[in-house]
Amino acid sequence: MFLNIFINRLKCTVRDKELVFWTLIFPLVLATFFNLAFSGISKAEVFNAVDIAVIDNEQYQRDNDFKNFIEQHSKDDPAGENDVKLFNVKVVSQKEADKMLDNNEIVGYVTYGEPLRLTVKDSGFDQTIVKEIFDQYSQTVSSVVSIVKQNPSALQNGLAEDIGKSREFTREVRIGTKGKPDTTVNYFYTLIAMSCFYGAFFGLKEVTDIQANLTKRAARLNVAPVHKLKALSAGLLAGIMVSFAEILLLLCYLIFGLKIDFGNQTGFIILTSFAGCAAGISFGALIGSANKKGEGVKVAILIVSTMSASFLAGMMFDKMKYIVQQNVPVLSYINPIALITDAFYSLYYYDTHTRFFVNIGLLSGFTVLFCLATYLRIRRQKYDSI
Amino acid sequence: MIVSVKNLVKRYGELVALDHLSFDVKEGEIFGLLGPNGSGKTTAINCILSLLYYDKGEINLFDRPMAPDAYDIKRDIGIIMQDVAVFEELTVYENIDYFCSLYVRDREKRRKLVEEAIDFVGLNDYRKFHPKKLSGGLLRRLNIACGIAHKPRLIILDEPTVAVDPQSRNNILDGIKKLNEDGATVIYTSHYMEEVEQLCSRIMIMDKGRVIAKGSKEELKGMIKLGEKITVEVFGLGSSSLSELKKLPNISIVEYKDKTLSLKYNRGKHNLTTLLDFFRENDISFGRVYSELPTLNDVFLEITGKELRD
Repeated sequence: MFLNIFINRLKCTVRDKELVFWTLIFPLVLATFFNLAFSGISKAEVFNAVDIAVIDNEQYQRDNDFKNFIEQHSKDDPAGENDVKLFNVKVVSQKEADKMLDNNEIVGYVTYGEPLRLTVKDSGFDQTIVKEIFDQYSQTVSSVVSIVKQNPSALQNGLAEDIGKSREFTREVRIGTKGKPDTTVNYFYTLIAMSCFYGAFFGLKEVTDIQANLTKRAARLNVAPVHKLKALSAGLLAGIMVSFAEILLLLCYLIFGLKIDFGNQTGFIILTSFAGCAAGISFGALIGSANKKGEGVKVAILIVSTMSASFLAGMMFDKMKYIVQQNVPVLSYINPIALITDAFYSLYYYDTHTRFFVNIGLLSGFTVLFCLATYLRIRRQKYDSI
Repeated sequence: MIVSVKNLVKRYGELVALDHLSFDVKEGEIFGLLGPNGSGKTTAINCILSLLYYDKGEINLFDRPMAPDAYDIKRDIGIIMQDVAVFEELTVYENIDYFCSLYVRDREKRRKLVEEAIDFVGLNDYRKFHPKKLSGGLLRRLNIACGIAHKPRLIILDEPTVAVDPQSRNNILDGIKKLNEDGATVIYTSHYMEEVEQLCSRIMIMDKGRVIAKGSKEELKGMIKLGEKITVEVFGLGSSSLSELKKLPNISIVEYKDKTLSLKYNRGKHNLTTLLDFFRENDISFGRVYSELPTLNDVFLEITGKELRD
């Protein structure tokens, strides 16, 4: 009998188009939008080499140092330290350079001489970069000339090489060396967490279909020779299966479709997803059993609570997670969506699993609590009114 | 007894929904619960099914006390509710199979029962349809199939014909008779007296949670003074003739309005013959003549002073 109820509940859940839309299609669409939005941000952060021209005059041809400087910054990884290429340089005549500038093919051109002259048409980010770099070059050349004038032996002591190198006096050390810092990945974590919690709709559906005071279908079930908890368990199991399968589909889409990096701990990622689904469904069951309000009201409660919890976990504003942790830390521990998000986060960033298991432990605790409260609400078998 | 209810009291706060309700249902009968909306019929059914708490009373089904976990008793009950109670996501076949599976575990046996139920309600052409594609009448039939597929000994139908077209209603009533002929005991609640009169072997009339009267339709009609109603189309009737009419044997009420003469008689014989003789003797010309025996509505009207349809 358990199997029959389970199979039928599975059919009912999978065929509920509205439910499948909100729990599967909506997160997939949202993930796609997130990806489009964040890939724009990433592109904006990438430095593109600036198109410039150098006037091909006698002075330029004579100064090998300047020619080397231009060549160095016109090729990928000039210093062999993952540096970026700064310029796309074309050496052209004055006339051609003017024409290119007019046609916006270059942001400016450099006329080598004393002093070095930069000609630009507009002011802007690229123009400022070009100016700063050539200013630095001129300043360096000027410094070398001054030093050599006072101390000619400095050249033999490696002054030119020394002054040409930029040095870092501080070193970056990462806590947990697993993932590259990426602020956008947290949005995807909260999206998965939200989707897990949308499983609450499955929980709500199951309880609605078992409480005789809520639907006539449930009344019919209550008249049948079936233990109510057996029917509820079969229903909730079906709900968890469908919700979990949907989350796995979402994960596959994120990992293989959108190439979001979740680290390489697949087992723990799946465990987090399952714990999230279980917490979501039990939460929905609790809301479903908590009062006699109509299904519409309960759905509204679920949406508002899920979206609020997602907001506090950082889905709409990634700094919110840290604001909550700093100002109301307890909220991070009682917000299941924040716990799911943080479980993914700790898997990605930390070498140890302590923080991960704290999150999973708390999530499981909430699941047990929600189930217990639901049981206490629905265990009665008669009603005051129907 | 299949059903035995004694002194059942159910209150909703100050409102007494069932006021010391007592009745029995014998095996093999179609027992009608007749009463206006809000008279307590559905509340009584829900108490019998152990869905509702009640304040006082005793309910036995199949001579055993009914309780929410009395699964042996529940196994022999089929319920058809006023509202259609099926799953939108399941097809006709799957719905019947699902509800049947709550009673019958054996898959092969269940398959036969489901086929019989589909056949019984005439949904063979719609077995793969989802409920939202069915008309109101077909939905009602599906609702019935879901309640009777497991062949229960006791079938409770709570106003199954509300908002159903006449053709579907007749199909449903014929189906209930057939179920009864096949051995099921039926409790049928309705506020349509014609249905109850047509269908039920014993009737209990309820109002405000109380039993007004119970018995066979003949017994119920025998409880009231009204014996016959005669309506005559009369083209001209003077006040002296009206006064003379009131002196006829068994007459209780005489009304003349818009060329229609309405007469109500207490029990007695040859009322129509006497009336026609009176018309002939007094040279009163008349048109159509109707004679009616009392209905359950008349029973309800005489006992409560209000129409059953109110």
